[in-house]
Amino acid sequence: MSILYDEGQQAIATESRRVLEARVNKDELLPLLEVTGQFHNGFWTTAKEQGWTALALPEAYGGLDLGLVELGLIAHQAGRSLSGAPFLTGSFGAAKAIELYGSDEQKAKYLPSLASGETIGAIAFASGSNALPVLPSVTVTDNRLSGTKTGVAGGLAADIAVVYANGPGMPVLVIAELADVTRNAIDSFDNSRLYADLVFDATPVETLVLGGAARDAALHILALQAVIAAHEQTGGAEAMMEIARDYAVTRRAFGQVIGAFQSIKHRIAELYGFVELARANCIHAASREGQADFITAAAAARISATEAYDSASRDCVQIHGGMGVTWELGLHLHTRRARSLAIEQGNLLFWEDILVDRLTGEAA
Amino acid sequence: MSDLDAYRTKAAAWLESMVPAYGKEARKGLSEADDLALGRRYQRAKFDAGYAGINWPTEYGGQGLGHLEKVTFDGEEMKHGFPSFYFGISLGMPIPVLMQFGSDKEFVKERVLKALKGEEIWCQLFSEPSGGSDLAGLRTKADIDGNGWKINGQKIWTSWAQYSDYGVIVVRTDPNVPKHKGLTYFWVDMKAPGVTVRPIKLVGGDSHVNEVFFDDVKIGDDHRMSPVGGGFAVAIATLMIERYVATDSAGFGPHLDLFVDLAKDTELNGKPAIEDGRIRQQIARNYAMRNGLQSITARAMAMMQAGMVPGPEGSLNKLVAVRSRQKLSELAIDLQGSGGFAYDDHASQKENWTSSWINAPTGRIAGGSDETLLNTIAEKILGLPQDHRPDKGVPFNQIPA
Repeated sequence: MSILYDEGQQAIATESRRVLEARVNKDELLPLLEVTGQFHNGFWTTAKEQGWTALALPEAYGGLDLGLVELGLIAHQAGRSLSGAPFLTGSFGAAKAIELYGSDEQKAKYLPSLASGETIGAIAFASGSNALPVLPSVTVTDNRLSGTKTGVAGGLAADIAVVYANGPGMPVLVIAELADVTRNAIDSFDNSRLYADLVFDATPVETLVLGGAARDAALHILALQAVIAAHEQTGGAEAMMEIARDYAVTRRAFGQVIGAFQSIKHRIAELYGFVELARANCIHAASREGQADFITAAAAARISATEAYDSASRDCVQIHGGMGVTWELGLHLHTRRARSLAIEQGNLLFWEDILVDRLTGEAA
Repeated sequence: MSDLDAYRTKAAAWLESMVPAYGKEARKGLSEADDLALGRRYQRAKFDAGYAGINWPTEYGGQGLGHLEKVTFDGEEMKHGFPSFYFGISLGMPIPVLMQFGSDKEFVKERVLKALKGEEIWCQLFSEPSGGSDLAGLRTKADIDGNGWKINGQKIWTSWAQYSDYGVIVVRTDPNVPKHKGLTYFWVDMKAPGVTVRPIKLVGGDSHVNEVFFDDVKIGDDHRMSPVGGGFAVAIATLMIERYVATDSAGFGPHLDLFVDLAKDTELNGKPAIEDGRIRQQIARNYAMRNGLQSITARAMAMMQAGMVPGPEGSLNKLVAVRSRQKLSELAIDLQGSGGFAYDDHASQKENWTSSWINAPTGRIAGGSDETLLNTIAEKILGLPQDHRPDKGVPFNQIPA
């Protein structure tokens, strides 16, 4: 897979930017922060219309047979424009789990509606602070799932979830339909992510992978999602860097634009470094899908993208002074998103450990 | 296999065959004079094998290939620790600029060939005590002297001046105009009367940089390589020649694998240090950073192969890699505790953490300081304004000292 975008890929980037900049704006996103259970309908409708939900799924099930590179480009733009819902990454993860590990029946049952966007998918792997425990706290007995998964992104709206559970005595990856599952909304700092604790009570499930391979499978899905999330983070970081630059070349103090002060211009130049390192790692990781070093590349992308988005959001606000912390200016939409994306799909600490395990040969 | 891969394979095999004669083991314990002599033989071997002047025109003894081949060869060569650094500046900037701006073609050809064979070395006389990052603030002057010129003043940080046969120099020829407009570019014979070279011992113990004094050094007008007053443009052209250089995501310090090995072999709180979260975090962060730089480089190479112009993000390499290497080297020494005091000033910066650490500041200052690079990124890439410059438009001799 080339690390240079071809014409088709560049067109995806241009078109997604055009559409999202026209259809998503901060005035519609700000109110979503103050309620639980709501997301930006325009964003999700656009994603379905544009075929983004189908992009990286197989043609045989209504997909477009493209891959991480293309979905990454969409995610980058979604990061720039602040995506209005977490479903692109969530449904992609659920669909990939079913595509890679499911039976033909399971694929036929779930993939077409995930590809069309009619079904919304979520991933429920973590147990609290542990993104991928050796043995999760929720259990599966006789194909019924019980226990609580906390902080599931998209959990308030998802139709199905791929759940990492204790099977019992060994890990298991299952599909659960969520229609009858209790969802306790989390009133969070970034409410359009639709975080929920999912309370399973003898919920019927279908098995995807049972035993030791289940954890490897879950890690692989997490890595695929991490590459998409890293693109989204990089897009957000790039937006914050540009907003900081635009402000610094117009805002005047002490008789000159503030961007002429090295304390400001060097800060923004440093952000450029963070953004370009993250972008390079994202492009590299997307090109390594299917290769032996994919997990390592995904971890590197995730680490540098988290650093980039956090730094850019921190410094962009700082450069704006008092205006930066006002509700109305909306920079906090990015500040909040930098943190929510940093936690979803495994936090920095998790990916640092995964990466070092790979580098030292502690992980197979 | 692409043509470039084939070129790389062949170059790598040739370099491998040079290791017994010119590699790290062969250089061990040599005096600098003997090492330089070995370096001259190595440079000659490169010339004979067609690896000198890779991207230079054949009419000057080069190979007539592209930047890609040169960067590819340099990347492979860097792995071995051959004695090539004596010729790095010489062939990197002064000689290419001589090819571009030298007026006497026969003279130029002769010099280029001798430099390519390692018989002659050129230095670059730019920085001065009063002008480093502010190159155009230099004070060394050339006054008209009959049909030629007479140079007086002092240069500093001149790499390998003590072994150089010739040098290129920027001097002030008119102090009555703003600083950029009063400069002229010449070449000088480093053995001429009035030239004094004094090596400067650096913190790492070596003395590859020098002070160079000019006392009434007389040169003919045929030494001039720019219009009178047009020297700054040629100086900038000199600095632009090295746009396509081999980069090292390790910042010319040790590979991250060496840190991982150290962490595995060192005990911390009764466990291997590799199990310590603080150590693991640094490994992970450094890996992500280095991997990003490598990916930027790989993309630039792919773009060049596709006939495109690489993006400006390649300028991040030196800035990001060297200061990270500095911090990682500090940590590597810390990690060894009381076992970390030993110092060997002949140890390689690419293999030894202490050597890497003590020499790291040079890497953050030479060839564009971190702060200068940040200014360049901010101004040229992001479109941020220049700093306030009180000397702008002011005749040089009226700038407040």
